[in-house]
Amino acid sequence: MNVRIPILKLDEVLIVSIQWELDDQTAIQFQEDLLNKMHETTARGVVIDLTSIDFIDSFIAKVLGDVISMSSLMGAKVVITGIQPAVAITLIELGIRLENVMTALDLENGLTKLRRELEA
Amino acid sequence: MNSKMRTVVNEHMDAIIEKWIELMKEEKGERFFHFMPQHLVEKTSREFTALMTSNINEGESALNDERLDDFTEKVIRFGWSIKFVNKAIDNFASVVFEMLEDQEVITEQNLRIFMGVFTGWINPLRESIIEAYAVKWEQTDTLQKVALQELSASLIPVVDKVSIMPLVGTIDTERAKLIMENLLEGVVQQRAEVVLLDITGVPVVDTMVAHHIIQAADAVRLVGAKCMLVGIRPEIAQTIVALGINLSDFTTTSTLRRGMQEALSLTNREIVEVE
Amino acid sequence: MDNRSSVEIFTEWDIVAARQLGRNEAKNSGFGTVDQARITTAISELARNIYLYAGKGKIEIDRLSTDGMKGMTIIASDEGPGIPDLRKVMEDGFSTSGGLGAGMPGVKRLMDDFKVESEVGKGTIITATKWLR
Repeated sequence: MNVRIPILKLDEVLIVSIQWELDDQTAIQFQEDLLNKMHETTARGVVIDLTSIDFIDSFIAKVLGDVISMSSLMGAKVVITGIQPAVAITLIELGIRLENVMTALDLENGLTKLRRELEA
Repeated sequence: MNSKMRTVVNEHMDAIIEKWIELMKEEKGERFFHFMPQHLVEKTSREFTALMTSNINEGESALNDERLDDFTEKVIRFGWSIKFVNKAIDNFASVVFEMLEDQEVITEQNLRIFMGVFTGWINPLRESIIEAYAVKWEQTDTLQKVALQELSASLIPVVDKVSIMPLVGTIDTERAKLIMENLLEGVVQQRAEVVLLDITGVPVVDTMVAHHIIQAADAVRLVGAKCMLVGIRPEIAQTIVALGINLSDFTTTSTLRRGMQEALSLTNREIVEVE
Repeated sequence: MDNRSSVEIFTEWDIVAARQLGRNEAKNSGFGTVDQARITTAISELARNIYLYAGKGKIEIDRLSTDGMKGMTIIASDEGPGIPDLRKVMEDGFSTSGGLGAGMPGVKRLMDDFKVESEVGKGTIITATKWLR
């Protein structure tokens, strides 16, 4: 039953692409897995790609927000990429602003942005 | 009584029309009868009088909807106000009444009876015309709203990575939603990294409009681009501050030109002159 | 009435089932992607509220067609503890579960019409409608 979201490592960056609808358990499992992986590998940056996600409710938004705060506590920067227009609109209407989150149009832009941040 | 009235009115139609046009020209602020080509005035006047006499000429039910629709649509296009239409009916009634008196169709003796016949003629017409006018006006109004929605808010890709959305006209909640959708779909489609929202054409920026703009900019940030607000006129800057609206998270510029420079420098580019 | 479909909410998995049903219904009703996301998200919020606060309940989805207007209504009902202070739960940022507090006012913003009926000790019924533009 429990599907895990694969976390890939590329140099100093962890890459996560969420490909299907997140249920609560998977989301929490993902949070745990990502933090562990970060600890094991001493990665300095994370890109989370949400291109295939067609909705985000307040729970998933909270998990994402928490992941970002926790990562920054562990010294890693997070970029969220590929948020769909419909998802962005519903998040804003829900009142979830996801402030202080780095975003980019797609994975490629996200990696560029992250590399620039890490060099600075 | 009716048949006599009908005969006399039809016989003197040309004189009635002429006199009626004279009266209409005296209306204050009237433009139609003064500035339109003569043949158009003539034609419209004949249509009007034909409409006005249709129920005495062709019987009670002869006021057909199609003719009524055609006429009201036409005068709305000519810019006749509802007040003006009402006045046209008044003037027509008084011209006809005077003429009937001159021709001695109306006399002291039959005045009382005649008033009944006369109002029974004009009043239903007035009601129908005003109603048709109101219906047509509503349709025009809806059409204009749709037209406004369609033409508003398209995102224009100016140069690689930079797009502009010029906003024109008043922004209400309905339009704000449309703008937001067009903006975000456009950003993703055009792969824009910076979008310039140009509010030069927005007459009023109140708390509500500012709220919508802030939301749109927030959503743009979520999809991974940066939103700048350009075209802030002095009076808009004044109202924004006076209302206590906080736009400090935004990059804002007074003109589109400066916004464009900013957008280019954000994407590590600049415009240089070729030697 | 065959314009109605429903999902019973007992477990976290039922939240997923409810929103999948909602998404399909929204798509079949002709809603665009943005409205589909709005409806799916609203259902997710309402279903999660049932799961968190009432333990069990039901999400019903009606397809509407009246006076040439088409739309979709979500009815979230439970027999849980009810809401003691309705005005408070409609305030932005209010939450008793440590979530983001986006729940109720957020759902209201996502939908066109929104109504809460609640009685302490008896339960809560939330009705939210989205019209097809």
